[in-house]
Amino acid sequence: MIIALPTKTSGEKSFISDHFGRTNYFYIYNTETKLGEAYINANKDGQGGVGVKSSEFIINKNVEVLITPSVGEKSLRVLNEGEVKIYKSIEKIVKVNIESFLNGELKELF
Amino acid sequence: MNIAILSGKGGTGKTLLSVNLSYLAENSVYVDCDVEEPNGLLYYKIDNLEQESVLTKIPVINNDLCDGCRICSDFCKFNALAFIKGKIKVYNDLCHSCGGCKLVCPQKAITEIDNAIGVIKSGQYEDTFVLSGELKVGEESGVPIINRLLEESSKLNKTVFIDSPPGNGCTVMESISNADYCILVAEPSIFGLHNLNMVYNLATVFKKKIGLVINKTTGDPIINNYAKEKGLKILTEIPMDFELGKLNSEGEIVSKIPKYKELFFNILETVFKEVN
Repeated sequence: MIIALPTKTSGEKSFISDHFGRTNYFYIYNTETKLGEAYINANKDGQGGVGVKSSEFIINKNVEVLITPSVGEKSLRVLNEGEVKIYKSIEKIVKVNIESFLNGELKELF
Repeated sequence: MNIAILSGKGGTGKTLLSVNLSYLAENSVYVDCDVEEPNGLLYYKIDNLEQESVLTKIPVINNDLCDGCRICSDFCKFNALAFIKGKIKVYNDLCHSCGGCKLVCPQKAITEIDNAIGVIKSGQYEDTFVLSGELKVGEESGVPIINRLLEESSKLNKTVFIDSPPGNGCTVMESISNADYCILVAEPSIFGLHNLNMVYNLATVFKKKIGLVINKTTGDPIINNYAKEKGLKILTEIPMDFELGKLNSEGEIVSKIPKYKELFFNILETVFKEVN
């Protein structure tokens, strides 16, 4: 399974970003290989509809689960089309969020 | 001649002024460009309004021709296209109808269809021709409707009074683009001053002739001081008047009443002199 998280800095020790579409980085983690990679969000400073582009980006990385504090309406439509499940993050670093998710401790956002 | 009435803040008196000035002027047109919340028709009560849809173009993807190259979605600056699960999806409300995606598609897989984003209503009220735009709920941008309104009003060769939307965004810029004169309306408060400064800066960037109306004056000189500092001409001050407020809130055109007529007539005279 592939998991994505919007993050403030890069890497598994980063805190989660408040804004999905305009996050600084995405951390994308593969539960099978146990490898994660950080990507710079190229759409961060876009004029509008950045949620669409950010959602498109993670969907095309074959992400199945997104862990985020919230998502906007535009992102939600795209994420639903891409059949991405959305879980609410906790105020901890990336690593803890992934562990909590795998232990079934995170709630589905929608 | 085009006269735009604008204010940074909502509820300051744009519609009060636009309606009354257009009512008093001869051979005039009233245009409600506040397409997100048009309210000019509450004053200009017209029975047989003509109605016309405003259409914009939105792209449609032929999935048989599309090879998923994503040139269109990379090109779209408004992020209205996304490549999801092997197909390009179109998000109509983000589309600005620029037609760029259709031009860049190497497979010629994109065509355009009409999309109704709102309506234009029009009718005659005594000597005044009335135009009002209304954006459909959920649509992002009223600019195409304002364009249509201004196109229609410019055909008439009359004195046009443009009731602008509040603020200083795209729709306001569009509505003052062809104005010969901008009447700024402000109320004497800190908030009122801040928003007046915003529209003053906008009108200055567009190099417009500007006059100021201070509405609901209470004796606070905050706006007068600002006008002095900027060398801004004060066309009139409308005092805080309970009766005027009440009549206006009931949808009455207050300049029909002799004691209020002079107030608006003086503004008209000054503006006409300044433009010519």
